[in-house]
Amino acid sequence: MLALSMRSVRRRPGRFTAMLLSATVGAAVIMAFNSLHDVAAAPGVDSASSEILTIAAAIVGGYGTLLVFISIASTLTVNVRQRSEEIKLLRSAGATPLQIKLMLVGEAALIAVAAVVLAVGPAMLGGRALLEMFQETGQVAAGVEYAFGPIGLGAGVGSTLLASVGAAFMAVRRATRAASGTDRANRGRRRSLLGIAALVLGTGSVLTTLTLDETEPAAMAPAAYGSILIAFGLALFAPSMVGGAMAAFEGMLARTGGSGHLSAHNLRRRASEMSGVLMPMILFVGLSFGTLYMQAVENDALAASGAAKTVEDKNLETMNLVVVGIIAVFACIMLVNSLYAAVSYRGGEFGRQRLAGATPGQVLGMVGIEGVVLTVVGVALGSVAGIAGILPFAALRTDSMLPDQGPGMWIGIAAVAALATLATGLGTARKALRTPAVDAVGLAA
Amino acid sequence: MNPTTTRHDPEAGRESLRLTSVSKSYGTGAGAVTALDRVTLDLPAGSFMAVMGPSGSGKSTLLRCAAGLDTPDSGEVVVDGEPMTGRSEAALTKFRRKRIGFVFQQYNLLPTLTVYQNTVLPLRLSRSRVDRERALRILAEVGLGDRVDHLPDQLSGGQRQRVAIARALVTGPRLVFADEPTGALDLHSARDVLRLLREAAALHGQTVVMVTHDPVAASYADFVQFLADGRLVGRMSSPTVDAVAERLAHLGDTVAQAHRVGA
Ligand SMILES: Nc1ncnc2c1ncn2[C@@H]1O[C@H](COP(=O)(O)OP(=O)(O)O)[C@@H](O)[C@H]1O
Ligand SMILES: [Mg+2]
Repeated sequence: MLALSMRSVRRRPGRFTAMLLSATVGAAVIMAFNSLHDVAAAPGVDSASSEILTIAAAIVGGYGTLLVFISIASTLTVNVRQRSEEIKLLRSAGATPLQIKLMLVGEAALIAVAAVVLAVGPAMLGGRALLEMFQETGQVAAGVEYAFGPIGLGAGVGSTLLASVGAAFMAVRRATRAASGTDRANRGRRRSLLGIAALVLGTGSVLTTLTLDETEPAAMAPAAYGSILIAFGLALFAPSMVGGAMAAFEGMLARTGGSGHLSAHNLRRRASEMSGVLMPMILFVGLSFGTLYMQAVENDALAASGAAKTVEDKNLETMNLVVVGIIAVFACIMLVNSLYAAVSYRGGEFGRQRLAGATPGQVLGMVGIEGVVLTVVGVALGSVAGIAGILPFAALRTDSMLPDQGPGMWIGIAAVAALATLATGLGTARKALRTPAVDAVGLAA
Repeated sequence: MNPTTTRHDPEAGRESLRLTSVSKSYGTGAGAVTALDRVTLDLPAGSFMAVMGPSGSGKSTLLRCAAGLDTPDSGEVVVDGEPMTGRSEAALTKFRRKRIGFVFQQYNLLPTLTVYQNTVLPLRLSRSRVDRERALRILAEVGLGDRVDHLPDQLSGGQRQRVAIARALVTGPRLVFADEPTGALDLHSARDVLRLLREAAALHGQTVVMVTHDPVAASYADFVQFLADGRLVGRMSSPTVDAVAERLAHLGDTVAQAHRVGA
């Protein structure tokens, strides 16, 4: 079966680039932060330096790993769903469900290993840069040497493999069940249960913020974790919300002309397939919105306390922003990545629409409308997740639930999400439209 | 004698499709394939033509070029009085959705739309008024009156192809092209589809061009045009199943002869 997996990856490398990209970037982020554990564990590192490094690695490595896990899983789910035709063919050619499962899980494992190998170089560079940042800000002694060792590598291999193989397993089970036409309802129920669990855990994590001591240096961590979990939970419910929103607006959209007509039907029926794109968008918005405003609240709280910002406070702020920056960029890459994969897969559908009389402009218009709907839903839910983290943190730091920050940063984040979504969607669709319609419908994705 | 006095229908006999020395090749250099080689063809309105020939002889390419779905390298295509060459995809699409219906072997229905929604899609896309009564009547004519709210994957192959035909007919096109429309169907469904196409020509005066491999399918047409190696190699009027099968079996000889003559 591994031979079948290898052949499948080698023959159609293009279909795996999205997965490879998300696994590689994810593995690099995980290993860069976790290698700080290796640095701290090296002999001769003073205890103060060691403590800072360990805290940073634990906090960021922790929620970074969670995020990467979610991204790899959602890209992989898209990949498996797109191959339902191939899976059906294999089944009809006599492959047993077990053989198909082994093939797809094998592919995922191969990709995970390749991703870790590709990610080691960038992870070492990133880890070194992080260490230098700590040293420049004086939090870690200048003499500490960078090290990339068993903990960094182990975390990378472990998380990436576990995320890929675990997600492959779930996606395949779903795909083979779907092929034999069973338990759609069960799947929906499991999805809801998972979503509710994430929302409950996230809310719990966010609320522990209120029990913390006001001077706790890592006070932002539970709020950030909770925010991510809430974003994840909301993302699981997002597709049905898109479906509902589209049902409500269908009549209005349909009247706006051909493009509106095409998207109204599409979004409603394909709502579940949008989750691959909504997941990273909601995470991106939730995380950057949450952390940027929490940091701003922190700054205001310090200013209000009358104390001048200490060097240490400034360092913490810089580090926070750098770390959030990395994670936000990661989520944004995932957004672009999954949207690219989702749209480029639709060349056949665009072809059928064109053959039925849609002009290229109408197809682009449809993709544009879908992008707007996705952005609106993604930004709205991401904002809810962000606010869930901001409110308790603001209450802890300032005795007032509402931070007095303006909406400027929020608008900026929403604009980035909108720009990434529309530019990727329209750019990819334009490329897909270059294939003549008659050829596009015949292409296997 | 006045040559037009015998005509009752002003449309009948009017030129509907004209190809003038149309050539098309794929690829370049040593691997280049000439799919169409200076094909010249005239078709009066209301006729039903079958196109036959060996696999790879250029039948699909001929149909696509005629319908504006592909661009010939040289030559001219005129459909219902309008040239198809040198126009943008958007312009061709707008022209096509009013005047041309196309039926594909693989149906090309949109899986997320119901039978009714698939059928009226060309009207919606051209922002024309949708005459629900008329659309339902066409669906009833193709035998799908009780399936209008089904999705394509709830239908058999024959039913899907009939949806595709309803969609091709709903705009009242002057021409209907069908590329092996019965290729994936059982005998019974195939016969329904062929009857529908013949009625389009005989009752509604639409011009029908159908590619087929099957002598039985070809026998429904007014005449058969044979194609080999991208060239027209003969025509048969009032085709019968046996005559067509006989002719197909000898197409190889004709090709060899055509090459000798052409050389
Ligand atoms: N998109 C394409 N790219 C390259 N070659 C093609 C393409 N479409 C058709 N051909 C070639 O052109 C020739 C005619 O093809 P086609 O018109 O599909 O034949 P038919 O429909 O009679 O089987 C064949 O040799 C085929 O391989
Ligand atoms: Mg063909």
